[in-house]
Amino acid sequence: MIVITESCVGCATCMLVCPADAIRVEGKAEINYELCKNCKKCVLYCPLEAINFVETAG
Amino acid sequence: MKVAVIGAGLGGLLSASILSEMGYSVEIFEKLPFIGGRFTSFKYRGYEITTGALHMIPHGSRGPLAELLRKAGAKVEIIDSNPYGTALYGGEEIDVNRRRMPLRSKVLFALLCMKNWFREVKLSELERRLDDFSAKFLRAFLGWSFSITPEQTTLTKIYPVYRSILEHGGPGVPAGGCKAVVDALVDVIRSNDCAIRKLKVSAIRKGNCGFSVYFENGDTEKFDIIISNIGHEETAKLMGIKKYVKLEPSRGIKYSISVRQPFIEHTGVLFTLNTRRISGMNQVTNADPNLGKGNFLMAHQPMLTSNVKFEISEGLKDLKELLKGYDYEILAIQSFSDGWPVNRAIAGSDSGCKTPVSGVYVVGDGAKGSDIEVDGIALGVKDTVEYIRKSL
Ligand SMILES: Cc1cc2nc3c(=O)[nH]c(=O)nc-3n(C[C@H](O)[C@H](O)[C@H](O)COP(=O)(O)OP(=O)(O)OC[C@H]3O[C@@H](n4cnc5c(N)ncnc54)[C@H](O)[C@@H]3O)c2cc1C
Repeated sequence: MIVITESCVGCATCMLVCPADAIRVEGKAEINYELCKNCKKCVLYCPLEAINFVETAG
Repeated sequence: MKVAVIGAGLGGLLSASILSEMGYSVEIFEKLPFIGGRFTSFKYRGYEITTGALHMIPHGSRGPLAELLRKAGAKVEIIDSNPYGTALYGGEEIDVNRRRMPLRSKVLFALLCMKNWFREVKLSELERRLDDFSAKFLRAFLGWSFSITPEQTTLTKIYPVYRSILEHGGPGVPAGGCKAVVDALVDVIRSNDCAIRKLKVSAIRKGNCGFSVYFENGDTEKFDIIISNIGHEETAKLMGIKKYVKLEPSRGIKYSISVRQPFIEHTGVLFTLNTRRISGMNQVTNADPNLGKGNFLMAHQPMLTSNVKFEISEGLKDLKELLKGYDYEILAIQSFSDGWPVNRAIAGSDSGCKTPVSGVYVVGDGAKGSDIEVDGIALGVKDTVEYIRKSL
């Protein structure tokens, strides 16, 4: 699961590169988990390393 | 001579292209999967939305960046703005090139300049003495160009910028936007056989001769000279230096907007004077229609409080009033602070390109020469190249 951490400043680079259009930003990034495909592109592109991928059980 | 450039932002790319043209062996390391830092764009819903910049070069084709791009052999067409800008004041649009400052304001400005010889004069002190239009224009100009208010700076710090505008003139938009500048520099760097590698630098250590650069993946490589594009503070941390000057960054919010009917008629800046937050707007598709389908408008505001949500709600109220009667859609709201700010150092407080360790230089934002934004970055790079040339 993609998790936005406290270091997010809201620069929206993640929103610009998300292939699933699953991110909205207004001061801070928010993930729409119904659309997110866990591709982790946002994790790689985040300039502040503020997005993590956390393995979830099941 | 082996040079390591840490960071592929505009400062790093400019340095690498000039030094590689001069025959140095240069390698660039960038931690992100894209090149250009805060001066590039991604196509989003048909618009070239940037990672930072407003797609503008402060002094267009006549300034220090344009000069350095020509020197590096980077091919970029810059469309100079004419007029430089207009100001929306009391429902009227005023050409800022033509408008003359009232005599009373001029005299007071001159008096304050003299006072400035004896003590630092805050710009807010100047603002209080100007006529209403000039005072509001000053505030909008600082907000648009530096994301700061007159309270945050002094006459001494901003005066060189004022001189530079008189000398080089106002802004321009690169054809293809800021990404075109980055792409042209990458072309130069690649044609000189210099590598740009996707690697995060985790430490720098000085050895008996030269430096060891450590990467996140565990590799190490030796270099003679280090050019860091990540600011003084982060550079000091990489070198393990505990004491460094902490610079105050400037923070801002940018709105990318698509509008059905054109909102601005020219390619310059529309300074907005009677607003809560928004200090200016531009419509870059007027300069290059390929930057977005239809009319692509950007608006910018400084962050006056640390409450981002509140700042955005104030900005949105302004936009609603400004764009009343227009058919528009907000494509992106981007806020910039901390490690991805508008400026790593409030305008005029950049601390030069040298570091306490000889052979290590800082370029880019935070190490600018005395000029605006990317033109200031170009001056800092020019100085760095000169220091390196002379040190050998
Ligand atoms: C909203 C906004 C609007 C702006 N508008 C304009 C404008 O219209 N005109 C203008 O002239 N300027 C403008 N600016 C300012 C301009 O964008 C910046 O000054 C400029 O892009 C900074 O370039 P830089 O090279 O200093 O740094 P950056 O672009 O920040 O580049 C630094 C690079 O270093 C990389 N990096 C960081 N740490 C490491 C590491 N450890 N290892 C490897 N790589 C690393 C980063 O990933 C990044 O790519 C604007 C800025 C903002 C935020």
